[in-house]
Amino acid sequence: MPEIFDSLQGLQGAYLNVLIAVMRFLAPAIAALLLFRCFRPLLSFRREPEIWAWLCLSDGTKLPITHWENVIGRHKKSDIVIDFPTVSRSHGVLTRYDDGSWTITDTDSSGGIMVNGKKVRIWALQPEDVISIGGIEMTLQPISRRQEQKLAQLRTKASTVGTGICNVLLLTIFQILTCLIFMMCAPQEAMKSVFLGFCGIAAMQWLLLLFYICIRRTSFEVETIAFFMCTMGMAVIATVTPTEAMKQLIAIAMGLFTFLLIGWSLRNLERAKKMRYLAAVAGIGFLVITLLFGQEIYGAKNWLIIGPLSLQPSELSKVCFVFIGASTMDRLMKKRNLISFIVYSVMVCGCLALMNDFGTALIFFCAFLVIAYLRSGSVGTLGLAVTALGFAGVVALKIAPHALRRFASWRHIWEDPLGAGYQQTRTLMCMASGGLFGLGAGQGYMKNVFAADSDMVVGTITEEWGLVMLVLLIFCVVALAFFTVRSAAVGRSSFYTIGSCTAASIMLVQVILNALGTVDVLPLTGVTFPFISNGGSSMICSWGLLAFIKAADTRQNASFAVRLTKKGGAVADE
Amino acid sequence: MNRIAGRAAITVLLTLLLIAGFSFFVAEYVTKANDWVLFTGSPHIYNGTNIGTGTVIDREGVMLLDMEGERTYGESAAVRKSTLHWLGDRYGYISAPALSHYSAQLAGYDIVNGVYSYGQNTGVAKLSISAQVQTTALEALDGRKGTVAVYNYETGEILCAVTSPTYDPDNVPDIENDQSGAYDGVYVNRFTQSVFIPGSIFKIVTLAAALETVDDIQQQSFYCDGVYTIGADKITCEAAHGNQDLQQAFRNSCNTAFAQVALQVGAEKMEKYVEQFGVTKSVSFDGITTAEGNYEAVDAADANIAWSGIGQYNDQINPCAFLTFLGAIAKEGKGVEPHIVSQIFVGLSETYEADTVSGKRIMSAATAETVAEFMRSNVEYKYGDDNFPGLTVCAKTGTGEVGGDNKPNAMLAGFVTDPEYPLAFVVFVENGGYGASVCLPIASRVLEACKNVI
Repeated sequence: MPEIFDSLQGLQGAYLNVLIAVMRFLAPAIAALLLFRCFRPLLSFRREPEIWAWLCLSDGTKLPITHWENVIGRHKKSDIVIDFPTVSRSHGVLTRYDDGSWTITDTDSSGGIMVNGKKVRIWALQPEDVISIGGIEMTLQPISRRQEQKLAQLRTKASTVGTGICNVLLLTIFQILTCLIFMMCAPQEAMKSVFLGFCGIAAMQWLLLLFYICIRRTSFEVETIAFFMCTMGMAVIATVTPTEAMKQLIAIAMGLFTFLLIGWSLRNLERAKKMRYLAAVAGIGFLVITLLFGQEIYGAKNWLIIGPLSLQPSELSKVCFVFIGASTMDRLMKKRNLISFIVYSVMVCGCLALMNDFGTALIFFCAFLVIAYLRSGSVGTLGLAVTALGFAGVVALKIAPHALRRFASWRHIWEDPLGAGYQQTRTLMCMASGGLFGLGAGQGYMKNVFAADSDMVVGTITEEWGLVMLVLLIFCVVALAFFTVRSAAVGRSSFYTIGSCTAASIMLVQVILNALGTVDVLPLTGVTFPFISNGGSSMICSWGLLAFIKAADTRQNASFAVRLTKKGGAVADE
Repeated sequence: MNRIAGRAAITVLLTLLLIAGFSFFVAEYVTKANDWVLFTGSPHIYNGTNIGTGTVIDREGVMLLDMEGERTYGESAAVRKSTLHWLGDRYGYISAPALSHYSAQLAGYDIVNGVYSYGQNTGVAKLSISAQVQTTALEALDGRKGTVAVYNYETGEILCAVTSPTYDPDNVPDIENDQSGAYDGVYVNRFTQSVFIPGSIFKIVTLAAALETVDDIQQQSFYCDGVYTIGADKITCEAAHGNQDLQQAFRNSCNTAFAQVALQVGAEKMEKYVEQFGVTKSVSFDGITTAEGNYEAVDAADANIAWSGIGQYNDQINPCAFLTFLGAIAKEGKGVEPHIVSQIFVGLSETYEADTVSGKRIMSAATAETVAEFMRSNVEYKYGDDNFPGLTVCAKTGTGEVGGDNKPNAMLAGFVTDPEYPLAFVVFVENGGYGASVCLPIASRVLEACKNVI
């Protein structure tokens, strides 16, 4: 092994320059092709409504039921609109389960729900059960098994296995070329760790793909994108802190495990609902432990140091928070549910305030806003929340001069390039030096700037890989978010929709704060870029969030987080 | 579910926020990246306050400076000393505006490729000066303070521009504690940053102004008995020159005659022509702006107007501006602007090439021809052509009285008319003594050296 490294270093003079000259254009080209291939199916799948059952009214009208969770009510945006004065605006929720059974739940309606002449709060519907809502009688007629199978065939198929293999192959070529450059220019002592770092990512992506093929899942787009971003993160580490490549690889492996674990728990909604309680305890537990045993680094007490490990538990709390925020429709329609969520959020914010972690607090707050809006749909509530934050923010700034300084230099970094603006002016100078195609992997100056592999990571990317690559990486997150929103329209449960929208929103907020903060469009807050910034906790969090996005993918045979049946059937348990 | 799906728009809102913010950045990038990359402190370009990328060579490819890291200067101490003021020192006492001016080209910066260049080639700036001529000129100055400069009046290339005192940047003397005065003004590039009392070389200006304004000036005869009295003031000459025409008076550098010439032109016209000739204006090239000279005659007493016409009173000129003026005379009244940076290469691609920039016409071709003819007769009949073997030189010496017990400034200004050697030159030696005897040997050596490199 060392001989190979030695001989590669020997080639430096001869081939490094050629390779860099080629890769400057080849890298963005491969990346663009890869992302195009991955995102095209995600952003173009058909979204026609699927009919799962019919609601037969006594006058002979048949209302189609197009979701797994359906709000019945007078409100014109209800899933099943019954415009009759005795029906409440949101009267009840009709829920379909994995096994094809249906349940009706009363959502604190004034008139209540009667099944077979008996007032019920929640009732597992049997065929022939007569439901009475506001005096209107109806029966539920689920579609037959045959129809279900037909529906599954009609549903947009996820990409084929071949496409997935092609994409991963493309990504592997990218990784090999990148690794080759670093083998020629990385410091001798770090070569092995950098080499293993890139190989490790490649191995993981192939193993995961193999696992998917074994369980007959063919969609690998979201994962490919995540692996691509991880590769870029590894490229940053290889140039800035090459000795930490192995650490990052372990973090990616742990992230992948988290991804699979959360995906598995989301697979069964009942299991997911139970996991929520665990997540709630864990989420707040992580924060409390940090408060009690944490160490203060760079002004924020958000690090937990156990032997050689240093963790940022608040990152893991983010994933838990998404779990807690997500909720099924039948619970969602009840007020009590929202109030307990608000109480929980206040507790989390309290912990973060005590930790003095401004960036994370901001992310949690944005996540809270997204969840609150998804749940309530009330702009007024959000207004109140934002106002409250405004006041809290002013008070916080008064107390923390550290944060105030950051705001003071915002949009004024060039007036103090050797003081408050040092980090950002150097970053912008480096970004400008990189141009559209960069100076080549490992060839930049950013490695000398503090936090070049975490908070200022976009500077390193742009300097060495070019502005085009940065645009592509931001596009990754933007496109994932669009995919999530598109999926929401055909979402089966609000649990998945809220979860995926919140997860995508957290990623977006992180990118907004990280990228725009670095380039002085926003104040610098010290937040990580998902998948790219160096840091184990952040990596695990990113993969955890990705699991929620993956779970929202309802295309046929797409997600391991959605159950599959024999013969291509969509639902029935095996 | 319909409602929830609709509310997913909040994620779209965040997406739009990100796209808007990033677009704003991209717009800033497109418009400001150029400033960012060239901002002092930009790590790819600067090394402290001095530009820190690229190498500098002379017109023949002699390495003068590698700006990377700790800065490596040329090999010989003589070259280092004679070129220091164009290259800048290590500590920021002497700046190098001509190099900083081309930092973008030296770094090979453009918005598409940033500062990328194949194989991390750094820029190479080729200066128009010759290390060989620079060292010859500095040697000829022999420790005296002053400046010697030569430029090609056809192309604008500065072949030589040394300033003294100077020092070896690789062996910095204890300037701060020096009591001898040997390093007074050592950080100043006298060619571009200083002004001198011109003395008799200013008679070239007065002569040209007279030729442009006084029709019969060449038909007049000027009598000199050694002293010319204006009111209570006396303008003295070195000797009684007797009766002389304008050309003879110019050759004799007769103060009496030129006092009369200046008075005939008149204060207002003198000022107007000084302005028109650009003698006191700053010259700008390669990011350098030279010191402004001074001339005032309007509102002055007649005696002072007379003194101003012979380069005394409040007259001050910058050597570079005067050199440009000489170039214009040599080139029939319309000269070219000087430059010192000829070419910049990054790798194989040329990122900068100097153009020959024509100046405005400052005098009629006829006037320029007559002035040249007069200056030629100075050399032919007075200074001696044997000073400049193989060259046809037009020149004027000067001795600028500086007052007190100090020796006068010695000066020489002129140009070569041979088509193969289109060179204009100035020699300024502070407190050098008598112009002709001090400056002629210097000019002689420097022009001889120039012949080999042009």
